Amino acid sequence: MKRETDYGYEIKPVYTPGDLEGLDYGKDIGDPGSYPFVRGYHPKGYRDRVWTRRMTAGLGSSRRTNAALKRYREMGQTQGMLVICDRPNAMPIDADHPMGRREAGVLGWHGASLLEFEELMDGIPLTGQSITLLGSSAMSAIRLAYVVALAEKRGIELTEVHGSTTEYPFCHTFGQTDHLPLDLLIKLWLDSSEYIVRNKLHMRSGILTQHFQESGGNNAQALAIEIAQLKELLGLLVNERGLDFDDLYLLPYELQSIGMRFFEEVAKVRALRRMYAKMAKETFKAKSEKACQLLISIHTSGRAMTYQQPFNNIARCAIQTLAGAIAGCTAIDNACLDNAHAEPSPFAARMSLNTQHIVSDETGVTDVTDPLAGSYFVEYLTNRVEAEAYKILQQIEDQGGMIAAVKKGYIHEIMEDSARKRQREIESGERLMVGVNELVIPPEEDDDIPIQSVEVSDSEEIATRMEHWKKTRDLPLLKERIAQLYDDANKGDRYNLMPSIIEAVKAYGTAGEIVGVIRRAYGFPYDPLEMIDCPFDLP
Amino acid sequence: MSARQRIKVLVTVIGLDGHFTGAEIVSRFLMDAGMEVVYLGIYQTPEMIVNAAIQESVDVIGISSHASNYEQINLLMDLVKKNNLSHVPVICGGTIPKEHAQALMKKGVSKVFPPQSTSDSIINYILSAVRSQNVIGD
Repeated sequence: MKRETDYGYEIKPVYTPGDLEGLDYGKDIGDPGSYPFVRGYHPKGYRDRVWTRRMTAGLGSSRRTNAALKRYREMGQTQGMLVICDRPNAMPIDADHPMGRREAGVLGWHGASLLEFEELMDGIPLTGQSITLLGSSAMSAIRLAYVVALAEKRGIELTEVHGSTTEYPFCHTFGQTDHLPLDLLIKLWLDSSEYIVRNKLHMRSGILTQHFQESGGNNAQALAIEIAQLKELLGLLVNERGLDFDDLYLLPYELQSIGMRFFEEVAKVRALRRMYAKMAKETFKAKSEKACQLLISIHTSGRAMTYQQPFNNIARCAIQTLAGAIAGCTAIDNACLDNAHAEPSPFAARMSLNTQHIVSDETGVTDVTDPLAGSYFVEYLTNRVEAEAYKILQQIEDQGGMIAAVKKGYIHEIMEDSARKRQREIESGERLMVGVNELVIPPEEDDDIPIQSVEVSDSEEIATRMEHWKKTRDLPLLKERIAQLYDDANKGDRYNLMPSIIEAVKAYGTAGEIVGVIRRAYGFPYDPLEMIDCPFDLP
Repeated sequence: MSARQRIKVLVTVIGLDGHFTGAEIVSRFLMDAGMEVVYLGIYQTPEMIVNAAIQESVDVIGISSHASNYEQINLLMDLVKKNNLSHVPVICGGTIPKEHAQALMKKGVSKVFPPQSTSDSIINYILSAVRSQNVIGD
C-alpha cells in the first residue's frame, strides 16, 4: 500500500515538532476568527451556527423535484436546499428541442423557465433557508433572474434571499455539460456577479473545484486552481467592472470535494483559507477582515463511492462528513451510497442526511473549533499541500493565468494525468478500495439497492408540456423583451445584460430562447447544436 | 478487421453528457494496449457516432455514460441495426444501474462495464469479442 499524499508526497510514520520548525502560531495560524483564518472565521465555530446539512435534489420534472424537496424538509433539511439542473438545461437547450426531448430531466431538474422555478418552489419558502441552484455556468444569470422574479411575485425583499444560483465559467472544462464559448461564459458571469455586488444581494457565486476534483484532480492541484480562478475572476470584477475588492466579500464561495484521505482533506481546507486570506491581502490589498474570508462548502466525494457493495459507501460518507465538519465549513452535501449507480433514491438521501446529523449531533464535533489544530501531522500537511499548490499556481500563472491555462489545455492535461495516475494506483493495488481491489465478492452476491431512475417517458412528458405551454405565453410581450435583450447584447461586453435577462425571464422567456438570442448577438448560431431555427425575428 | 492488424475502437460520450474523464482514461489504456482509438469526445448524437463508425470501419463501439434515461443509446442501437453494423460490438461503461444495463443488453449492447472495472477486463473483452467476430465474419 502506497503511503503518500494524494498529490504524491511521501508520508512518514511519525511527525514531531521538528516538522513544524519556524511555524509561528500567531502569524501563520492564528485563533479562529483571526487572520490568516487557518482555523476558520468564527471564534465559536459551530456553536454559533452548525453547518447547513443538505442533499442534492433534482431529477425529472419540476413537480417531481418539488416533491423531493418537501420530502427532504421532512427528513430534516430545513437550513438550505440544493438543486441541480438537467443536461438540456445545463447546455442550455429547451426540453422541446429535438435533443432536449431525449434527455429532459436526466441527472437533474429541468428548470428552463420561470414557470418551472415557480413549480419547484411551490409551498417552499424562499427565505429562512439558503436557495442553491447548481448545474452550469451558462444558466447562472437566468437562475438568478428566477429568484429576482419570484421574490417580487411573493413580495419578498430581494436582499432577504440568500444562497447561490450562479457559478464559475470553467465548469465545462471539468466535465459539466455547458455549450457556451468560454469568453461568453466569462462575460455573463461578470454581468451576474456585478449585479449581485452592486445590489448587495446575498446570492453567492460558486467558484468551485468540486468538478475538477471529481474528474480526477488531486488536492494540491485543486487548491492551485481555486486560487488561480478566484484571482482572475475577482480581478476582472475589480479591473474591468470597477468594483472595490472589499465589496466582493459576499460573492464567492467554494465547494470542496472531500475524499477518503481524512487528514489530508482536513488540511487542504485549512490551507485554502490561508491561501485566500493571503491573496486577498497581498494581491488585492483587502482592507476588511471579511474580505479575506472565502466561504467554503463541502461536497463529500462521489468519486470515492463504489458500485460494488454499495452499503460500504455509508461508512465512506460518514468519514468524509466528519472530515468536512472538522475542517470547518458552512454547508455539506453528500454523495450518497448509490452514487455509482444513479441519482439519490429517497432511501439514500435519508441515509445521507441522517449521517450528517449523526456527525453533528452525536460525535461532539460541533463543540470545539478546529480540533485538529496543533497536531504535528495536520499542521505539516496543511503547510505541505499549500506549498505544493503554490508550485502549481506558479505554473498556471506562467501560462498567463487561469483563462489562458484553460485555453491552452494545461488544466485539462494536469487533471487527466492525475485521474490516470489514480486509476493505475487502484489497478496495481497501491491504493486499496474495499470491494474493488480487496475483499471483493462475486457480483451475483452483491446487495441490491433501491434505484431512482428517470425514464424516456418522463423526458417526453416534460418536452410535450413545454411545447404546448410555450404557445400559451403572452407572445407580444415576450417578443418585445427578447428584442430588448438582443439590442442590449449588441452593446458590447461591458453592457450588463442582467436587467434585460430578468425582464425576459419575467415574460416567461426560456433558457434556450434567452441564451440563444445572446448567442446570435455574439455571432454564434441560435441553437448550439444547429438543429432548430431562431423562433424570433431578429435583425 | 481482415487486412488490418490493429483493433480499431471508437470511444465516445453520447448525447448531452459532458463527463469525458472515463472515456479519456479508457481511450488511453486501449492505445497503450496497442489498439487504435477513434475518440469522438462529447456532444455526439447517435447519427454522428454511427457515421463515424462506418467511415472509420471500427471493430468496436465504446460508449461512456454518466447518467441517463438511455434513450440516446437505444436510438444508437436502432441505427446500428439499420446500417447493418450488428457485427460491430457496442460496449458501454459508467454509472449504469443493473436494470438499465440488462435492458441495454436486450437492446443489443454486448457488454456493460460498471464503475471501477479494470482496464484488463475491458481490454480482454474487446480482444475476445473481436476475435469471435472474425471467426464468424471470415
